[in-house]
Amino acid sequence: GVLLTCYRSHRCRPTHGIGRYKYLLPKEAPKKKRERIQMKEINAGTELEYGDINIQMTSYDMCLVEHFAQYVHRLCNRLSIRVNESYAMPTKTNEVLFLEERGSKMQLDAVLTTHQRVIQITGLSSTFAPILLEIIQSSQPEGVHLAMKQHTEADFKSRLKSRPELEELLAQMS
Amino acid sequence: TPPESVSPHTLCSFSSCSSWLPQRALLRGSHWQSSLLTPRTSLPVRAQPKKKKKVDVKREQAQKDRMKKKLRKLEKAAPELIPIEDFMTPMKYSDSSRVRSLPEISPEETERRVLLLKKWCLFKQKQDEAEKKAIQTLVESQQEALKELRLESEELYQAAILRDEGLFPFERDGPSYTPPLPGYDPPEGRCVDVTKVYTQ
Repeated sequence: GVLLTCYRSHRCRPTHGIGRYKYLLPKEAPKKKRERIQMKEINAGTELEYGDINIQMTSYDMCLVEHFAQYVHRLCNRLSIRVNESYAMPTKTNEVLFLEERGSKMQLDAVLTTHQRVIQITGLSSTFAPILLEIIQSSQPEGVHLAMKQHTEADFKSRLKSRPELEELLAQMS
Repeated sequence: TPPESVSPHTLCSFSSCSSWLPQRALLRGSHWQSSLLTPRTSLPVRAQPKKKKKVDVKREQAQKDRMKKKLRKLEKAAPELIPIEDFMTPMKYSDSSRVRSLPEISPEETERRVLLLKKWCLFKQKQDEAEKKAIQTLVESQQEALKELRLESEELYQAAILRDEGLFPFERDGPSYTPPLPGYDPPEGRCVDVTKVYTQ
């Protein structure tokens, strides 16, 4: 057969780029991959300001502690205190066993679940801190245990799953 | 240096030679010796420990590399947060076949409820306003006191506005409905922690 001069025209042919349309559409945001949970830097605070502080509210009653946490969060927003994070700690379950009066066997009394909510605030001024403490204490409901501590790395680590294999390997290496 | 291997053919040819050779031929049993004239060195004696050392070092190195690779792979995986059981709805509540039918409410009842709601709203508003006012008075009185202190002495003022290290950690139990019963004897018992442990 006759071999035609086969030259492949691509950019020079008149219909080049005829099907293009993506450049006309609005730019969509790049797909976000699940972010690595990294510890944020712990603010140590200055002489006149406190750094990262955790307000931990613990109780057996989940609704009560949730509502109290919401109240504290809204209060901080209203008083323009910067709230870094507001999260829940894992629930702890306890089985309460008691010894019967005339018996030797331990009987199951109740299964109690302890719920904890944490609100992390930062930049609290030293003059305002006692006032905030007073207000929160005055509206503390029954059965809710309040604790205010400085945020540490250990607090953050307690939220993460334990990795026994990694720890084993590290122990073996060193 | 690896020992030179000698083919069995050369071995046979050597054994058929002159008288002094048979003795050597007997000694020639081991193939480690390359030539008859060279005295028997301690090469075969050294071979065994050398093997152990080399293979051990290699094996240990390979083991270490494997461990390091495993470690790197585990470290690459991001740490996960423990899932909160509070936020996971139990399966039995996701059954949509249960539908509740609310009873009919009379207009008087709705009226009563609406008025009650309005009263509650007013009560909460007053409570909130009182709280705002309390905060404001506290802050104002504090500012005034600090202002007066500043006029009194600058160094005391500077010491006053420093942050209190003894304030945190702070803990307080919530108030209770009733005081503890005097002379209450609780039954013997214990608490068992049955929290589910999550591992990655």
